[in-house]
Amino acid sequence: MRGMRAFLVLTGYVTLLSIIVGLIYLVLSKNAPATLVNQAGIVLTPVLIYVQMGLICLIAPTFSASAVSFEREQQTFDLLIVSLAKPTTILFGKVGAALSYLLLTLFGSVPLISLTYSMGGVSMGDIAIAYLIMIVQGVTYCSFSFLWSTLIKRSVVSQLVSILTVIVLVAAMPALALFFTALSASFTGGPSSTFINVTFLLLRTNPFAAVASLIPGFPMPNNVWLRSVPIWLSQVVFYLLLMISSLYLSLRRLRNARNWV
Amino acid sequence: MIKIENVTKTFGDFTAVDAVNLEIGKGEVFGFIGPNGAGKTTTIKMLATLSLPTEGTLSVGGFDIVRQPREVRRIIGYMPDSFGVYEDLLVWEYLDYFAALYQVEPSRRKGIINDVLELTDLTIKYNAQVMSLSRGMKQRLCLAKTLLHDPDVLLLDEPASGLDPHARIEIRELIRELCRMGKTILVSSHILTELADFCSSIGIIERGKMLAAGRIDEITAALSGNVVIEITVKGDPLAAIQVLEEREDITRATSDGRVVHAEFTGATDDVDQVLEYLINRGVRLTAFTPASADLEDIFLKITRGAVA
Repeated sequence: MRGMRAFLVLTGYVTLLSIIVGLIYLVLSKNAPATLVNQAGIVLTPVLIYVQMGLICLIAPTFSASAVSFEREQQTFDLLIVSLAKPTTILFGKVGAALSYLLLTLFGSVPLISLTYSMGGVSMGDIAIAYLIMIVQGVTYCSFSFLWSTLIKRSVVSQLVSILTVIVLVAAMPALALFFTALSASFTGGPSSTFINVTFLLLRTNPFAAVASLIPGFPMPNNVWLRSVPIWLSQVVFYLLLMISSLYLSLRRLRNARNWV
Repeated sequence: MIKIENVTKTFGDFTAVDAVNLEIGKGEVFGFIGPNGAGKTTTIKMLATLSLPTEGTLSVGGFDIVRQPREVRRIIGYMPDSFGVYEDLLVWEYLDYFAALYQVEPSRRKGIINDVLELTDLTIKYNAQVMSLSRGMKQRLCLAKTLLHDPDVLLLDEPASGLDPHARIEIRELIRELCRMGKTILVSSHILTELADFCSSIGIIERGKMLAAGRIDEITAALSGNVVIEITVKGDPLAAIQVLEEREDITRATSDGRVVHAEFTGATDDVDQVLEYLINRGVRLTAFTPASADLEDIFLKITRGAVA
């Protein structure tokens, strides 16, 4: 990401966010009741966060899924391995490079968030938690994408597998949970408590659900497992575990680079 | 400096290197000869700590490549046969990046980069983008990178492959300069004339087996049994031939104009006795040269035997 490309991607990212927020505000100010317009932040802030989370799902794997595989493709990996760089240096250098740009894009949206915050309806604490969720989400996606790049020779395939992993984590698991809940409901006349519990456990792995749980009025059944633990907290812990595992496995893989064929 | 003991490397059922033994002394320039797919690159990759042997041991500077890869990496400079460069970097950035990877202190980096660029004749390209360099320049840039940490041992795998004749000559001159600097060099090639000029010893490998290794003159002598001496005489070549044939250690003498070719059965180090003899017998000569070994002949003789 040297030269104009980094600047253009960042500009495009912030422009896209601005357009989305602007359009929603326009629609809201013309159609919504005055009470809601006065608290437009309650709609605009989650939308802004969700759009950013969606972009993270695309940007993080794209940046780091080719970190090692591209070096192998362009035949520079041997030169890297034969140098005095330790596997940890390579790992943190590569993941750090992808992450630094990701963080730059995240912080590029801060002026927009401050604008929606000023419109009322959301607390500073909730925004801080949302950013924490996004940062952990980005780091985690970068980490397992890096792992894929150590395992897969071709960078295009590595990127594809990384994006598929993101889709599985973000969409497939909750979709599966909802499907089984609906299935159970069709047999028993209503979802059993076990199915509701499993559904909520799966939702606890989802960053989008974690942000949704911060919105006032989020439905949380009374007898669900781990009710006292905030969804965002369990989601962050789950992603941190995923990140640590990915980094550990990547490091092991790099240490054994001499056994790669 | 480099020791390979009974090394075998297999990939599944395929044996790429088969029980190879080799020893290269300090300051030696060793030419690793063999056709494509003979096992040269696999052997060099093992020495460069990029691949592990299936059997046997390899050491560089006394450090075992399996147990002490980091120590080995500190003293070797490795240039692969095919390599990539970071196209979007500037030349100095590329070298600075690798200097950092080789833990060269930041305060010394600029000076070292200037030195290696001067050595590889790339000073003028200091601020150029790597992608703008020609193939030969990229090859020299990779060699410059290889020299950043001042390694004692250089492992150069086909350093001139794919280059035009002019760039080949430049690389050859560069390797010659590195020889003068006292580096121990293992250079591989399948183009024999490339190595003939500057190698003090050679190893011939085919189908993973080391067929011959040692000093070029020793291998030549072992193969032909004779050392061919080229003598340019000032007077009558036939008279010189007559004088030469009086010696028991000259088996055959022929002339080609004023140049006499004599086959000497003695040791290479004893060739001076023939010179002394000719002078004492009044033969006037302007040149006296033990014929330089023709690597192509050696290679063909050895590999023909192996194939047969």
